[in-house]
Amino acid sequence: MNPEFQRNLWLEAAPRRIAWAGVVLLLIYGAAVALTRNNPYGALPALGGVGAVVFVACAMLWGARASGNSILAEIADRTWDFQRLSALKPWAMTWGKLLGGSSLAWICALTGLLMMIIAGAASRVEGLATTAIFMLALAVLLQAISLGAALIGVRKARAEGRTARASGVLGGLIIGAILLSWVAGSAGFQRGMGTEGFGALFSANGLVDWGGRLWPAAGFRAVALSLFAAWAVVGAWRLMRLELQMQNAPVVWPAFLIFLAIFAGGFMLRTQGLTAGLAVGSLVVALSAYAAAFAEPADRVRIRQFVQFAGKGDLARAAPLTPAPLAPLLIATLLVLAAFATSSGSLIAPELGQAGALIAFLLRDLGVIALFRLGERPQRGDFSAVVALGLLYGVGGVVGWTVGRETGGAMFAPLAHAPLISLVSGLVQAAVVWTLAAKRLGLSAPPSAPASVPAT
Amino acid sequence: MTAAPMIDVRGVVYDYPTARALHGVSFTVEAGAVLAMVGPNGAGKTTLLRCMAALDNATEGEITVAGLDTRSDPRGVHAAIGYLPDFFGLYEELSVRQALTYAARSRGMSLADTPGAVDEAAGRVQLTDRLEMRAGELSRGLKQRLAIAQTIVHRPRVLLLDEPAAGLDPEARRSLSDLILRLAGEGMTIVVSSHILAELEDYSTRMLMIRDGAVAGGGVVAAGSGARDGLRVSVAFTDPPEDLAERLAAIGVTLERHDGDEVLLLAPEGEDDAALLARLVGAGLKVRAFQPARRTLEDAYLAEVAR
Repeated sequence: MNPEFQRNLWLEAAPRRIAWAGVVLLLIYGAAVALTRNNPYGALPALGGVGAVVFVACAMLWGARASGNSILAEIADRTWDFQRLSALKPWAMTWGKLLGGSSLAWICALTGLLMMIIAGAASRVEGLATTAIFMLALAVLLQAISLGAALIGVRKARAEGRTARASGVLGGLIIGAILLSWVAGSAGFQRGMGTEGFGALFSANGLVDWGGRLWPAAGFRAVALSLFAAWAVVGAWRLMRLELQMQNAPVVWPAFLIFLAIFAGGFMLRTQGLTAGLAVGSLVVALSAYAAAFAEPADRVRIRQFVQFAGKGDLARAAPLTPAPLAPLLIATLLVLAAFATSSGSLIAPELGQAGALIAFLLRDLGVIALFRLGERPQRGDFSAVVALGLLYGVGGVVGWTVGRETGGAMFAPLAHAPLISLVSGLVQAAVVWTLAAKRLGLSAPPSAPASVPAT
Repeated sequence: MTAAPMIDVRGVVYDYPTARALHGVSFTVEAGAVLAMVGPNGAGKTTLLRCMAALDNATEGEITVAGLDTRSDPRGVHAAIGYLPDFFGLYEELSVRQALTYAARSRGMSLADTPGAVDEAAGRVQLTDRLEMRAGELSRGLKQRLAIAQTIVHRPRVLLLDEPAAGLDPEARRSLSDLILRLAGEGMTIVVSSHILAELEDYSTRMLMIRDGAVAGGGVVAAGSGARDGLRVSVAFTDPPEDLAERLAAIGVTLERHDGDEVLLLAPEGEDDAALLARLVGAGLKVRAFQPARRTLEDAYLAEVAR
């Protein structure tokens, strides 16, 4: 047996803990039966509903928390270095923590799923298997994201010289997901982008328009979520490799970004054509650059090494040090160029200036994030970067609009009204910000002062 | 042909974001040596040990441990070494047996070999009678023993200990010294970091001084009670000649230190003290006092500081 899985079983699924969990579950299910004893359809439908709630609570909430804690508890208990020194393969460590850390949560959750399936089968509910797959995939997705967030948190904390926590990373992910769902789910956005079928994905009703044809929404959602869950597990594994001092070639991250672009662009294909699909894909990938910029450890030494090796043409040593936002920046640019290449005869003809302005502002924003996160005190870098971006888009936008309406506003945001002004302004700002960031990084002069070595 | 060193550190530089912690550190450690890594707090000892353990990557330079490069084969290095950090943690809810079983299995030991290795490691640190106790129930000294047992259960070739005696009572320190001597006797290469020289005295054979992130003094030198680099004798001469050092060198004896009338001499390994006395007298030197001496770690430290 995988030693990490076994150790987690010893700690999490000890007989006494299982016994207590059994008692609590019996009380919950017993209460459901007692409360529905006068129900003409019997207690089974209520048990199914309670089972679904138990599954959500145990697998998605408790399990996700336990997966993240399987790393954070090691940090708090000062055992993480002991684990990093083990001879376990990263994959064994990943699944050992993912399943082992949430083992008791899974045992409890599966009783709920079982209740739900039995109740559903008795009532001849359609698509029961699809729903079960969707729920399982969602649980794995959340747990893998939690584990990945903890690993990102550990790497960030080490680079920033503070205690590791996943709450910041998870908070960022939740806020990002809410914002994205809010934008992607809004009727106006869907009409504008031609992705009305996207709403079906959220509700799992009707048909989803993807990849040039229509798919049953429930099945599509289950498959899509399973794929994202698989990517989340792969992501956690890649992060675990880094924690175990192994190097990652920049292959899987770009592959995920391409998957993401295809997934997002696929919603446009049938109604809007390939050009629109590529444009939407580039937008989603560009947004990933922001996530990558904040998820990357604020490690100035690593960036200096990357610049040094890349400058010497030593790509073998530079490649594993490649900053994560670089891949989405390049892929988004390539997708924009591809959109132009395919735009002749398309219903949507992207505007070259505005697309260029979007990339220029992305470049500027990455510079702003680097400038604030890679200072001498990177502990508050994330917050400072968010505030700076907010000021640039918010206050800058208002000032620009007051001075010159759309033309003035275009200097602080990539607007369609004056795309060339946006493009030039974005490039100038990007140049200024990156010059400051390079100076702050000390790319030309590595530190030489003796250090008081921080405890790790 | 000389054997490859067990640890080879070449030009290691380590940068923290705002300052350089190690400035081109280079040294080698032979197989079977017990190296005392000494230096003040903040000198860079922990950073260097973490780089040697392949837990952190050096900014520049190369480190090989047991023939494995820490950068290209970190997992191989992890399997070959045992590392006890200065602030270690234990799985307090696991029993001593479970903790050792996990340590052995996670370090690549087969299922069949594990029970034997667990019993052996527990025996080495005198925890055999506490195998079924929870780690959280052990005293500070016993927890230290368990932590050491976890680092040696897979029989590593190299053991790196960072301030292992910190917080231990005198009896526990004695046990630790005995254990390190036993492990060294079995051929394990051991590096012990500390800023307290006395605790390293009993078992060290070599010393390396780190100061301000650089190797101070003459690199790895013989030191401690375990040192085997020759016979040291404290000698007082009547009317010592002006060219004492040259006359001693002519008979194969090194003048290590001159302290008033007394000098500390180093004769080659295997030298007999009676034969040395006869040679000194034979060289026309008037020996007033002759006392075999042990070069303490403090002697070595002060000699290196004075260089």
